[in-house]
This record gives sequence, C-alpha cells and structure tokens, in this order.
Amino acid sequence: MEEYPEELRTPPVALTALVGCPELHAPITAHLHAEQPPINALALPDFSKISLFARVTKESPAPGRSINGILKRDWLSKHRTKIPAVVAALFSSDHVSGDPAQWLQVCTDLENLKGVIKGRNIRLVVVVVTQTSSKDDISSEDRMTSLRKRAEIDSKYIIVFTPNDPLELKQSLNRLRNTLAELANTYYRDEGRQIKARLEKKNLSSVELQIRYSFKVAVFAEFRRDWAEALRLYEEAYHVLREMVGTSTRLPPIQRLVEIKTVAEQLHFKISTLLLHGGKIAEAIMWFHRHIDTYWSLVGEPDVSFLHWEWLSRQYLVFAELLESSSAAVQNVSSAALSTSDKLTEFEFSSAYYYQSAAQYLKEKSSCLELALSISVNSRELDENEESAIPAAYVGQFVKLLERGESLTTQPLTDEEFVHHSLAEGKRFQDSFEIIALFKKSFEMYSNNKTLRMASYCGLQMGKEYFTLNEFNEAKQIFENVTNLYRKEGWVTLLWEVLGYLRECSRRIGSMKDFVEHSLEMAALPVSANASDNAFKDSGPAGPPSLPQRQMIHKEVFGVVRGEVGFSSNEDKDELRVTDGHPLYLEIDLVSPLRIVLLASVAFHEQVVKPGVSTMVTLSLLTQLPLNVEIDQLEIQFNQSECNFIIVNGQRPQLAAISNVQPGRRVETAPSLEIITNKWLRLTYEIKSEQSGKLECIYVIARIGPHFTICCRAESPASMNDLPLWKFEDRVEAIPIKDPGLAFSGQKAIQVEEPDPQVDLILGSSGPALVGENFIVPVTITSKGHSVHSGELKINLVDTRGGGLLSPREVEPFSADNLHVELVAISGQDSQDQSDASSEGIKKIQPSFGLISVPILNEGESWSCKLEIKWNRPKPVMLYVSLGYTPHISEATSQKVHVHKSLQIEGKSAVTISHSYMLPFRWDPLLPSMAKATKDPDPSPILPLKETSILIVHAKNSTEVPLRLLSMSLETEKDGACTVRQKDEELKEPALIVPGEEFKKIFHVIPEVNLPKLSVGTVLLRCKRDWGHGEQQSGSSCCKATEVLTKQRLPDVSVESPPVIITLVCPPHAILGNPFTYSIKIMNKTHLLQEIKYSLADSQSFVLSGPHNDTISVLPKSEQVLSFKLVPLVSGVQHLPRVTVNSVRYSAVFHPSIAASTIFIFPSRPDFKITDRAESRVESVVVE
Amino acid sequence: MQSQSRLPANPSRTGAKGFGSLIKWREKMIVCVAVVGHQNNPLYVQSFTDADDALKLHHIVHCSLDVVDERVNNPKKSGPTLNETFLGMLYPTENYKVYGYLTNTKVKFVLVTTDLDVRDADVRNFFRRFHAAYVDAVSNPFHVPGKKITSKTFAERVSNIVKSFGLSSAG
Repeated sequence: MEEYPEELRTPPVALTALVGCPELHAPITAHLHAEQPPINALALPDFSKISLFARVTKESPAPGRSINGILKRDWLSKHRTKIPAVVAALFSSDHVSGDPAQWLQVCTDLENLKGVIKGRNIRLVVVVVTQTSSKDDISSEDRMTSLRKRAEIDSKYIIVFTPNDPLELKQSLNRLRNTLAELANTYYRDEGRQIKARLEKKNLSSVELQIRYSFKVAVFAEFRRDWAEALRLYEEAYHVLREMVGTSTRLPPIQRLVEIKTVAEQLHFKISTLLLHGGKIAEAIMWFHRHIDTYWSLVGEPDVSFLHWEWLSRQYLVFAELLESSSAAVQNVSSAALSTSDKLTEFEFSSAYYYQSAAQYLKEKSSCLELALSISVNSRELDENEESAIPAAYVGQFVKLLERGESLTTQPLTDEEFVHHSLAEGKRFQDSFEIIALFKKSFEMYSNNKTLRMASYCGLQMGKEYFTLNEFNEAKQIFENVTNLYRKEGWVTLLWEVLGYLRECSRRIGSMKDFVEHSLEMAALPVSANASDNAFKDSGPAGPPSLPQRQMIHKEVFGVVRGEVGFSSNEDKDELRVTDGHPLYLEIDLVSPLRIVLLASVAFHEQVVKPGVSTMVTLSLLTQLPLNVEIDQLEIQFNQSECNFIIVNGQRPQLAAISNVQPGRRVETAPSLEIITNKWLRLTYEIKSEQSGKLECIYVIARIGPHFTICCRAESPASMNDLPLWKFEDRVEAIPIKDPGLAFSGQKAIQVEEPDPQVDLILGSSGPALVGENFIVPVTITSKGHSVHSGELKINLVDTRGGGLLSPREVEPFSADNLHVELVAISGQDSQDQSDASSEGIKKIQPSFGLISVPILNEGESWSCKLEIKWNRPKPVMLYVSLGYTPHISEATSQKVHVHKSLQIEGKSAVTISHSYMLPFRWDPLLPSMAKATKDPDPSPILPLKETSILIVHAKNSTEVPLRLLSMSLETEKDGACTVRQKDEELKEPALIVPGEEFKKIFHVIPEVNLPKLSVGTVLLRCKRDWGHGEQQSGSSCCKATEVLTKQRLPDVSVESPPVIITLVCPPHAILGNPFTYSIKIMNKTHLLQEIKYSLADSQSFVLSGPHNDTISVLPKSEQVLSFKLVPLVSGVQHLPRVTVNSVRYSAVFHPSIAASTIFIFPSRPDFKITDRAESRVESVVVE
Repeated sequence: MQSQSRLPANPSRTGAKGFGSLIKWREKMIVCVAVVGHQNNPLYVQSFTDADDALKLHHIVHCSLDVVDERVNNPKKSGPTLNETFLGMLYPTENYKVYGYLTNTKVKFVLVTTDLDVRDADVRNFFRRFHAAYVDAVSNPFHVPGKKITSKTFAERVSNIVKSFGLSSAG
C-alpha cells in the first residue's frame, strides 16, 4: 500500500487557498485542519503568487484525436495539492478604508485574482481583517459595498475577521471555516456536475474518456464526502475498464494490459477503501474476489508473466493491509458479518489469508521472473541500458526518455523495449525476503488465532524460502517447529517433506546427530506404498515418499553410523565421519519421535520376587525401519547397577569384544541380534537381585558399529503407548511377549521382597477398655531364628472409622485433654531395660504415636513391654505395632526386616447413669405450670420449692465385664440452692454389678431457692474391674485394676413454689367391716384465700360418710382437712372412692393416682409379727 | 452489490495455457477427497489429478481442518440445525474450493474441487454418497476403527463417485 502515491491512499480533503495578510495564515490553516471534516489550505503570502492557479492553456482534445491514456498520473495530486476550491483573499481594513492609493491596490489585487480564478471556476471569499470590533468607520461601509461589487460576490462571502480579541477570533475563524467549507462543497459539486454532464452525453469519443470522467466525478464526490456516489462511479469506471481488455488497440499488447491492470488496481483500491471505510467488510471481500476472478487469468505474454503475478500479489497484499487496518478499528465486525453472509468463510475475514496469498503469488512471480531471465538471450545487456524507460504522464504507461542535446523528449516504447525494461527492473529486486516477510506476518497472525495448521503451512513455506536462500539455520529452526504438528496429527506425507528439508539442512550445516535422527525417522515413517511417485514429485529434497526411498535413506544412514561412509556437507569439503573422536549417541525416550526406529519393551515374568531368587525378564525390541538392522551389542541397565548385563551378538564375535564391557559384568551371547521390520525381537534372560526394594529396568542401550549408540528408555508392555504414526496404519500388530497375559500386564519393574521375619510379635489383648482407665496392652517379642539388632518398635493408634490418625475434632485446639484416646506410657520389662533404652536414646511417646527401641535379642530370647492407653471417650481404636530390626549386626547396609501386628480395641464407658424424680407417697403439691404443660411429651422435671422430692439414680453396667462399684454420691453445688440428703457415700462392701445389671440409689432433694434452672449436682461413681477371686493376686502384680471415676452432671430442674398441697391420709391397710378415716388435707401455702371444689365418687367396695361434693374456702397459710369415714365391704386390693379436688383460682383439677388410691383390705385382723429389721437395712438396694 | 458487477467470465485462456504451475485449465472436477479421523489424522487421502501436486493437496486438506475446528467450536447461531453434517465451503484457495463434512462420529470428510462455481446441492449430494461408502467401508468386520482405510472396494467406489460428480446437474 505504501507504494501508492499519497493522494491515492488518503481520502480527499478539500483544498482552499489564503492570499494576503500572511501573519494570519498560521492560525487559520491550523484551525481549518483541526476541525472535522478537515480542510487543507494553501497559504500564499501575497497576491503576486496567485498565478500558480492559472489554467495552463492547452488545446482541448479534438474529437478526432486519439486519447493517449486513461488516467493522468498527476491529475489527482493536482487537485489535492495545487488547485484550491476556494480562494480567500485577505485584506487589511486599513487598506480597504485607507487612502486612495491603498484602496486602488486592493482593487487591483482583487481584479488580478478574479482574472486568475475565473478560468477554473475557483470560488472567492473576501476577508477584511479589522483591528477593532467596532464598526464606527462609516467610510469603510461604502468601501465594503464597493469591495463586494468589485469582487462580484454575495455579501455573505465578505467576512470581517477580527484577530485581536480571542472570542472574536474564534467566531471569525468559525465563520471563515463554514464559508470555505460551503464554497468548497459547491465548487466540487459544480466541477463534478460539469464532468458528469459530459459523461452523460454518451457521445464520448473513447472509453478511456468515459473511465477518466467517471474517475474524476468520483473523486469530486469524494471531496464532497459523498461516498455512495463516489463508490458508484468508481465501480462504473471499473466495469468500463474491464470491457477495454479485449477491445483496446491503442498501445502494444503487453503495455496495453499493463496499463489496464494498473488503472484497475487504482480503481479497485478506491472501491475497497470506500467499502471497508463504510464497514461493509463482507461486500469488500466479495468485491475483491470478483476483482481477482476477473483479472486472474489475464496473464499476458509469457515473457512478462511475472508482471502479472507481481500485480496479483500486490492486490492481495494491499487488500490484506486494508483489511487489517479496518478490522483493527472494528473488532467485532467479522463475527457480525460472518453470520450475515454465508458465502464467505472464516479465513476470508482474516488478513492473514491475504498475506499468505500475496506471498504465494510473489513466489510465483519470482519463479516466473527467473524463468524469463534465463530464457532472455541478452540478459547481460539488461544491465547496460538502464536509462531507457520512465513512467509516463498516464497511469500505467512508460515512455522512453531521450536526451536530444539540451532538451529531453519522450518517446513511446515498443513491447520489446518494455519487456526489456521490466526484466531489468525485476532483476534489481530480491523477492525472497519480501516473501519471507509476508509468510512470517501471516504465520504470526495465524498463530495468534490458534489456526495452527495454516500457520504451519506458512511456516513451511517460509522455511523453504530460507532454504533456497541457503540460510539453513533459520530454515532448520522453522522446519523443526512445523514437524511437531504433523507428527502429532500423523500427516505422514507432510512430515516426510519437512523431514526431507530438515535432513538436508542438517547435512549442509554439518550437524551429524540431527542428520542421523532425521534420516532414521524418515526411514521409519509409514509412507503409503501405493502413492505413485509421479504425484509427489515436488516433495523437496526428500524425494517422493515411497518405500524405495525409505530403503535408500536407511542404507545411507546406516552407512554413516557404522562409519563406513563419510558424511559431507556441501559447504566445506571435509568429510565428517563417525569415528573414535566423533562417536554418535542418540537417546530415545517415551515421547521421542524416534520410538518408531527402536522400541524397547522390558517385562519381568513375575511381580514380586524374593531376594536371591532368580526370575525371568524378557526384552523385546521393535523397529519400523524398512530393512533389517543388526545390533552388535545390547546393554540392559537397571536401577540396581549390579544387575546390569550385556548381550553380544553371537554372529559378530569380533565386534562383541568392543568396549564398554566393565570387568565382572555379566555377558550373555545371543545367537542373533537382528531386528526385522515390524517384528519383535524377543530375548529372555534370568535375573537375580540380592537387594530388596524395587528393581527397575531403565535403559536398553544398543550399539551398532564401533561408535554408534542408541540409548532407548525401557517401557513396560502393560503401559506402553501405541507407536506414533504407525498406530493409524493397518498393519500386523504383534504383542511384545509371546505370553499374552504378560504382554498386557508385564511391568519393567519388579518388587524384591524383604527376607521373611523370624521373630514373633504378640499383642496380649484383654477385652474392651473402659473409658477413664489406663488400659494395658502387653507386647511380647520372641526371636525364633533371627537375632534382633537395632530393633525399633513403632506404635500407632488409628481411628478405625476415618483411618486417619487419632486426633480431636478439627475445631478443637490440640491438647491432650481433648484427645479421645491417648497413649500414656510404654513400660519396659524391668528398670534395667528402661535405662538401656534411654541410654540408647530412642523412646518417644506422643498421644497417638510411640517409638521405643528394642534391646539386642539373641535367638530364642524374648522381650516384652506394656503399652498404657487411656480412653477419654468411648471409641474403637486400631492399634498398630510394628517391629523393624536387622537380623545381622555385621552388615551395616543389610536390609531391615519388619513385622507388623494390629489389634482393634473397643473403648467403652463402664456404666451408664440415668435418674428419675418422684414425690413422696400420697403427697401432691399443686404446680400450676406442670398442670398446664401436660401436653409436653418430655417435660423437664419441676420440683416443689422447699419440699422434699425423691431422686433415684440408676447406674447400669454397660460393659461385658463385671464391675465392682465402690461408691456413688451426689455432689451438690456449693451455693446451697439445694439440699441433698443421702446416706454415706462409701458402700460398706463394693457392690458387684454383672454386665447388664443396674444399681440404684435414692437421694432426697429439697430445693431451697426458687430458681428457674436449679442445678441439682453431679453424680460421682467410682468402680473398678472385678477380676474375680482367682486373679486377685496376679491382678495386683501385673494388671492392677485401676479405679474408674465416672462423673455425670444431672440436668437442671425447674423449681416452683406450690400454692396448694394436697395430702391424702389413709391407713396402710384396713380390715373388712372396720371403719377407718380417709382424710384429704388441703394446705394453702399462699397469702390468698383459696376456693376449692371437691367431689367424692361413690364406691361399691366401701360405705362412705361425709360430704360428696362441696366448695370450701381455705384460709391463707392454713390447712383444711376433709375427713371421710369409710367401711370396707370387700376384701382384697380395693380402690378408694375417687376424689377430685379442683382449685378454682388455678383451674387445676387433682385426681389421685391409682397407686395412691389403692388400699388392701384384710378379711380379718391379721396377725403381724413385728421385727425391727427395716431400721437396720441400708436404703440402697440391689434389684434384679 | 449490484448484480451487474458479476462480470462475464471469459478470460482469454489461450494465452494462459501452460505457464506457471498455477495456471491450469480450470476443469470442473474433484481433485482430492480425504477422510480425517478424530485426532485430525488422515485416514484416507486420495487425489485425482495427473499433475504432481498431490503434496499440495495434502497441505490444503490439512489446513482446512483449522476451519473445521473453528466451525465446530463456534457454531453459527443462525445455523440450520444441531445435527447438520455438511459444513459448507471451508475456504477458497488459489484455484480450489474446499468443502467439509462432519459425521456424527466426528470423522471429517474434505473435498477439494477446481470447480469454482460448484453448487452446494452437488456437494451435499457428493458427501451423502461418500458418507454411505465410508460407512460401508468401516462396517467391514476386518476394519479396525481409527486406522487408515485401505479397502480397495472403497477406493473404487470413491473413484466412481468422484467421476460422477456434477454429472447429474450438468448443463
């Protein structure tokens, strides 16, 4: 785009001129330029310069005369830079209103100016520059009028310009600008109209004129910013021009075409610019395609076909640049345009595509030019007469410049001369760098868009161009980038081409290793055998991708690596050889492209093996090289280097002696080490490791010839990836090992086990542990064949549920109190051992982990210790104990042997404590809130204030071992809110509770303070395991049962003062027929009078005397007794007549419970034998 | 765009014959068809030209995969249906047009033609027949999915389809 002249590239800007008052020109031009749309201004300091605008007299073309060209080269620039649309004549007001001489001067200047501009229809503006804004000068009024008359302009085109006052200046500038813009617009419109009129007359003498006029009208429309009109006329010109191709005869054929194409290029450029400017990207692209389609095949004469390709390349380049700049401005247009036009594809919206095409055509031009130059006989003369041609006055034409003495004259060229000139011009330029730059640009744009395949293609082209320039290092780098994609996607033919270039680059650079690698890879590529050689002729230096070619490469490269053939780069004559001084070492890892050259799979036949026991290992090698490869020596390397061994080729004994065999190494001889294409070479050997741990095969190293080594990373058949590239081929796929099971599961590593431990580790377990006690686990180590040296005992406590180490809940801070289970202590067998252990320094105890060293034990000896574990909460726990030791003290490096034992221990709470409250018999306080809350399913107990309630505490043995209860007591709060009466805490003798049994104790509780939440106290319970009578003695020595103290706080109770207490008084039993008194005491504890309703139901079992129902009032703080006399009529357990007491104030009804209203009636007076046993009994009883 | 701007295509081909490898008689024919697998690996690439541009056609097919990827990743919102297999023209290059087709198993078909005025219907028709041939070829129990298609029957059938391309609508 840069090669176009400025006036063509930029949109037209109206041109004006300023004459006179030069001091004002700078601010005016600056202002005109800054506003939108801008106006350019020519500044002429005085009126003598105005002749510049004068029309050069030239005879108008006679109708019969032939037209010399289509567009004049300088016409556009003339209108852009020379001929203004408007001239602003600036006069100082002093001069206008000054003395007659000055006035005369003004008039003369104006006349001259008018004379000049008339010929061109240039518009005139007269600007009178005043120094003051005041218009008090009357004489100037007259002068102004006469000035206007002389200038023959409308009064609005006389502008008073006041530069002194900033505000006035601004206004003046705006006024001037608007006037200039308006007049410029008129000028361009009139000019356009005038030419258009000529165009529409239809009697134009030639198509050239038609094109020229259309072009001019379009340009004038552009000046007016009438883009639509401009576009229309440019298009018209373009179409007319296209019709000229077959018809024009004005110039010799070659130059004719050149001219047409050059004009078409200009027109197309204008059209594209306008379309893109208007945001019509899709249309612009479609227009571009039509443009290319139209001219694509107009190659012209073969001699100058390169001109065509150059032209075409330029079209693409310019369009790419236009597209790039416009799409940079509007980012999201492409997506919007995409959806609207289905005809266009994604690529066509990216300028990279056009850059790429430009490069491609430039390449074509370059090759055509080369051809043309080689054909041209007198290529040497080309350089000699260079003066010959220069661009002519018409666009796209060239003329010969002749010096005739002083004067220079021009003369049309013949086609021969033109061709000559073009060739000479073409020779001067080096296209390759241009091509590379274009490809590079396109490459980068594609890469940024993640359009990797296009980018690779551009990269490849770029690399090829570097290659032809003999810049092998650059080329190599680019090619190497490209190969990755082709390898990944398996495009073998494309890869073949690139590798061919790479191979050649490496050869030229003299990089032996790269040359060998690329050659090997090429030889092993799966190029299809059926591709005819003819179709792939242009595959670069690699030749066509075919099997014979692969074989050739194979032979060549193996000649090189064996050192038989030299390796010569063309640049220097020194031959490189694989020799002592230049050995060659290749490494093939799991991702190397050379895996197809040599693939090594290693599988052990077993997964685990005992140390010192031999097992089998199979080594399988596969190659895809087209010819068989004979390996001289194979070395297998393991992570345990003493297992390494070497396999030598039995058929090449002289070579088997080659280097690298360390003394003492195991050497095997194989009958043959020849690998056949796509056929596994399987070798199976025994292997034995003395060291436990992992034995893994790492490398398989193949040596071919004396100085060539391929180091191949071993792979497990079980986890082996498919061969890259070959995996898509339809080939016979064999498994690396004959045994299919092994082929799918075989591993290149084997686990060498530890020697079997010959030591017993015994964990003595004794049932579940109780929460709170120090639970003791005895550990015994007994040597049964191994002596134990530097033994270590590790103890771990692990939560059985989570599997993680035992720890408190995450939120709780780490402290021993919060641990559910902790390891408290490890005690040795006796004090001497402990001192030994401490002197040896290993004894660590943490809550869930312990480490203790074990003294030296000889065969048959044993050692034991005890672990004390304490449960703080009930929880099952896994105890892991592991012993690590070395059987021999002599071998410091010898393997440790480990013995592991684990034991699950349940931790349980010893007892579960529950409790209940009761009231004294036949004694009922009225608790209003209790009466209301009867619906509550689980009411918290409410105790009457200052009255005795009975608390029963139950302790149930929830373990599986019998317990002995030592004491149970209730510890009250110190505040005295509650009085508890209890018998002595210590039991006289420990109570035995077998599993599931319950122990109860009764307490009297009297709340002293009326609190909503009254704390009753904490139950303290001490108990211990019952070891029975037999174990009592041994228990004291070894398993001393520790006391377990269980504490449980009783829940708070509510306290309420009862307003009314009802007590039923009745003898414990009665005798048939004997009357007794049944009285109901109603005690009013309040200060208020209580109205009580009561009723007594009749009963068949009794004869009753007394009131049935009544309402009575009980005085405050007093007691009312209702007495009834009853005579029992039936013997046995009988219900007393049912009493209902209703407190009106509290609307509470009292019914005595069934138990409270039951009495036993003896048929006759029983004969009781009274003893006093009840007095001596403890109140606490054990019940089943 | 005005319809008249479509210029009559009567380039003076007489002068163009035989010059430069780009200039060839613009024969209306298919020059290359390809089947491309899941990993964008070629499963079947066959060119139908006598010239030595097979490699170039391989490049064209390979590059067209970029467009397929883009179409698949950013489907047009106004696209006809979700299950549309025909991808339309992928991109025009110098003197070829490249069309794409994506089966439901994400196998791609690419067609390169020199016919610059080819009709969509013809291409669709071609792909339909080609797809049928492909399905038959991979249904062969001896064919391993994901491997190159080496069946001769398939090659023959494809060759027939290619030869008959556009014949039905000739004229």
